[in-house]
Amino acid sequence: MISNSGTRPVADLLNLSQLPPGELDRRIFSDRGVYELELERIFAKCWLFIAHESQLPRPGSFLTTWMGEDNVIVVRKRDGSIGAYINSCPHRGNRVCNAEVGTSRGFVCNYHGWAFDLEGHLTGVHESQTYEREPTFRPADIGLTSVAQLGTYKQLVFATFDADAPSLPDYLGDFSFYLDVMLDNDPGGTMFLDGSIKSTLDCNWKIAAENFAGDALHAGWTHASAATTMLGRDVADLGDPQSESYHVNVNGHCWEFNLDEVGNAATLGDPKVMKYLRERRDQFRERLGPLRSRMVGSVSSVNVFPNFSFLPGQNTFRTWHPKGPERTELHTWVLVNRDAPDEVKAAWRKGAMMTFSPSGVFEMDDGDNWEFATSSARGVVTRRQLLHYGLGLDSRISHPELPGRVHRCQVNDANQRAFYDRWAELLRSKAKQAPTSAPLT
Amino acid sequence: MPVFEVSELAVGQIKRVCVPGYPPIAIYNVGGSFYATADTCTHARASLSEGDLDGRHVVCPVHWAEFDVTTGRAMSFPASIPLVTYSVTVEGDTVILALPADR
Repeated sequence: MISNSGTRPVADLLNLSQLPPGELDRRIFSDRGVYELELERIFAKCWLFIAHESQLPRPGSFLTTWMGEDNVIVVRKRDGSIGAYINSCPHRGNRVCNAEVGTSRGFVCNYHGWAFDLEGHLTGVHESQTYEREPTFRPADIGLTSVAQLGTYKQLVFATFDADAPSLPDYLGDFSFYLDVMLDNDPGGTMFLDGSIKSTLDCNWKIAAENFAGDALHAGWTHASAATTMLGRDVADLGDPQSESYHVNVNGHCWEFNLDEVGNAATLGDPKVMKYLRERRDQFRERLGPLRSRMVGSVSSVNVFPNFSFLPGQNTFRTWHPKGPERTELHTWVLVNRDAPDEVKAAWRKGAMMTFSPSGVFEMDDGDNWEFATSSARGVVTRRQLLHYGLGLDSRISHPELPGRVHRCQVNDANQRAFYDRWAELLRSKAKQAPTSAPLT
Repeated sequence: MPVFEVSELAVGQIKRVCVPGYPPIAIYNVGGSFYATADTCTHARASLSEGDLDGRHVVCPVHWAEFDVTTGRAMSFPASIPLVTYSVTVEGDTVILALPADR
């Protein structure tokens, strides 16, 4: 299975517990065999973020996205519920939907005219009279392959190809306590602003995901120049052991944060965003309690395992889609409170684009680092050296309010270790068989 | 023959009518005027009454062929054969479908 990993066997490579604590084998970023296992045992098994409900406003609204390397159509069905199907015709395999987003009556394959309704059922074929003579052609048994389970948490839509996966509430577990900081700080709920910015990075998807899981350390170094431009001063010292900041993780989902209320939001450089957050402090406190209310725009970053990340304050939400071990397709959106004034929504859209888009001042900094961190692992000698993930090995604490595994100080590698522990646990598990073809009812 | 009351088919709606001895027939309300065509798309096997009425064009629910329901003319790929049309009149509150003796 391991095609490119020198002399160490696969079990050794995947058994992270055999490594010294706080070290990581960098071959996981370049090995094709590891990558193929990830597609089977992580992306075909985990709950993956596929849409925000606001992207599917009415029956027929659809978008296409990725679950691993499986292209999926997410659609609002005629009864108002949401479905998700593999975007591939059961006749010859061509995709049945060529658009990234839109509204449609159904999906017709461009190759031979096989047609499917919003529920994924085959409704007709070209030259239907010839098929009607064929005893093996049973249209009722032919349709687009549905995901195995679909669920929503506060308007975020997730799906899994694993019929035996735990429920979405169990998968998220206590992490929903933290998700509510972004998803439930306002009674009107949230929405994605129209449009998505997509780009590709020549990096392994995990390097991006682990950065959002816990890498506060890079902010004051990688982003020093951009932060000074946007803030007019350096990034605050985030590693002060006396400061109130944390790494928290649940089931491999990770949130690093401090309680400075507006540190991330301030990097957008827009007083309208700051005013909006300031005016709602009491409301946040009422809905979230005093501690979480200070997380809404603070210096923080989040990764929902495996590949769904966001930044409170900047409000960029994003998925890292694997495209081989050394390539990642990044999809990003801007999340706002639905009832926020239009000028505040516009400020967040503009600010997120200025900071975290391919031409944004922060995102450009990251891409360069991640691409070389990935490609260095190609060197057969280079990759013999383990990478250092040993920050905060004794930082675990118990906290009276915060659930999950809590570590003091946001300059820490605790979340990254939790991300890779979860990753390794899944890769060691047995792969599930092919996804169910049963329709989702 | 009388088929239904005017109030049973709102503007922009389509109703399928089955008459023994005839293929299924679709009746349309186009801005208050009633029209009728064969219900089966001339391309494949779809029922046009399950499609959408955009003005005077019916859109097939399967491959999205369009027909002008006032003339039966096929307006777009993949349909090229026109629909058979039937004459419809309104007498009082009743929609009357005129069927040819030789179908």
